[in-house]
Amino acid sequence: MSENKLVDARDTFCPGPLMELITHMKQASVGDTLELLSTDEGSGADVPEWVNKVGHEILSNEKIEGVWHIKVRKAK
Amino acid sequence: MRILVVGGGTGGTIVANNLARRLSGEIRAGKVKLTMLSASDKHMYQPGLLYVAFGQMMPDELYRDQASLLESSIDFHVDPVEQFELDKNQVKTKSGKVYMYDVMVIATGSRIVPEQIPGLAEGAETFYSEAGAVKMFKRLREFQGGKIAVVVGVPHKCPIAPVEVIFSMHDYFKARGIRDKVTIKYHYPIGRIHTIKEVATWAKPEFDRMGIEYETLFNVKEVDVKNKVVKSEEDTEYAYDLLIAIPPHRGMEVIEKNGLGEGGWIPTDRHKLTMNGHDNVYVVGDTTNLPVSKTGSAAHFEAEVISENISSIVKIGTPVRDYDGKVYCFIETGHDSATYAMFNYQNPPDLKPPSKPMHWFKMSYNKMYWTSVRGLL
Amino acid sequence: MNTETGTPVAATATAEDLHQLAELANLVTAARDAMSDDIVTRLAGAMSEGITLLDRLTRNEGLIYLLQELDRPENQHFLVSLANAFTEASKELATTPQAKGGLVCALRLVQDPGVLEGLRLVSLVGSRLSKSMREMHRHGG
Repeated sequence: MSENKLVDARDTFCPGPLMELITHMKQASVGDTLELLSTDEGSGADVPEWVNKVGHEILSNEKIEGVWHIKVRKAK
Repeated sequence: MRILVVGGGTGGTIVANNLARRLSGEIRAGKVKLTMLSASDKHMYQPGLLYVAFGQMMPDELYRDQASLLESSIDFHVDPVEQFELDKNQVKTKSGKVYMYDVMVIATGSRIVPEQIPGLAEGAETFYSEAGAVKMFKRLREFQGGKIAVVVGVPHKCPIAPVEVIFSMHDYFKARGIRDKVTIKYHYPIGRIHTIKEVATWAKPEFDRMGIEYETLFNVKEVDVKNKVVKSEEDTEYAYDLLIAIPPHRGMEVIEKNGLGEGGWIPTDRHKLTMNGHDNVYVVGDTTNLPVSKTGSAAHFEAEVISENISSIVKIGTPVRDYDGKVYCFIETGHDSATYAMFNYQNPPDLKPPSKPMHWFKMSYNKMYWTSVRGLL
Repeated sequence: MNTETGTPVAATATAEDLHQLAELANLVTAARDAMSDDIVTRLAGAMSEGITLLDRLTRNEGLIYLLQELDRPENQHFLVSLANAFTEASKELATTPQAKGGLVCALRLVQDPGVLEGLRLVSLVGSRLSKSMREMHRHGG
């Protein structure tokens, strides 16, 4: 059964939202969905770049009131 | 009021010593009992491992007796916790003893798990343990030329370490007069050379100046030890003569075994530093699940907040402070210069140009650390 | 205004200030050059240990009490007398033959008024010390 997890990395600079996502992706199982929250300007581009290069799936990517909400599915 | 501190690293030791000082009257009067449980009788200064790896510090300089660092009013036992029974407000230790508490501080830290990446433990040098650091120095010393690959596992403590090891290696081979015979290639998991934007912006031209090769978006998948090739999730690979790895980390096994947090990272409130769902349990340092750097610095500032709050709860019944995410990290940029990164939840780091005095400040801190964990600095 | 040469006093003062600043800058550079990792590390180590020791000492109530007692002239005088007595006795011992033991030797010793005076002092000290130690035991010391 796949799970939905929230990764709240708002207002953090080190190790930063993308690294937090990577940490949680490693703990997740294939099929799980993770939603990353980030106030980092660059997340909208950085996160999809990593997700696509490594081979996972971006489900959605939107900025709501200054916060990026990026949903990612662990594909492998 | 029984206060139990589990773990004798940076965070645990500072919490315990600060509490012992703030509550000295209450402890003398028998109103408060302060106990610490640790798996080791020794306290290790972990940032020193990088210096050991380059022959700048000896392993024995990394350690002090834990008991010598603690206030005498702390009841200290080398008896690691094996079971946490949070619903009963007690823990069970290796020796079979049961310790009940009114307030507990979990400070168990984190561990390296190189075995998570096939071939890494056998094929790579790492300075994240004493034995590893000494072995790495010997390998560096024997190295006469060739390709050195640096790879980074996620998550890892001390986020700045990958950059520091590059600067240190460049200076080390330069001092030996063989820098031109050594190719250093740096691999980093995300799309820039460091996770902190300001560090990546500053370090990129420095890497270019030093002739460091680099590949971003390289997430280590496995190491072919026989053929000396390191491979990525992105299907790229690099043949090396010497592989240096910053291994992935997890929280301590006891945290995972007791179901306190996935991966050994305990869900923690980012301001109150209490464990989610347990207001009488505080979590400090590496073992939190906070998106805060796993560093001694973060543990130090968190410990200050926790000890102030537990003390105020004893004295006036309520906490008084929130953790603002503050971290202050030195960045060694080679043999005789350094800078620092300071940030919190609201403010990003603002890197100053590296300087010699800053390097001396870091050298001084290597000695001042012991005074700092005693709660004196 | 400098009346001899007609140059403004302010300009002359500035030249000298600059010279002094340059000297100071050279001094700082020299100190910087002299400093090494080892010096910095040792200084920091000494300072750290110093702070730790100072913290222990200032929180040691017994030590603070002893220091206060030591501040009293009669205690200072006594300690000095004690030290002098031992020093002089030690010097005399160097030229005094070793006691042979036995009753005859003992009788010869007590003929010396100095010996009897010494025994008197020891017995006075002893009886007070005994009283004070019994007092201490009575109060659970």
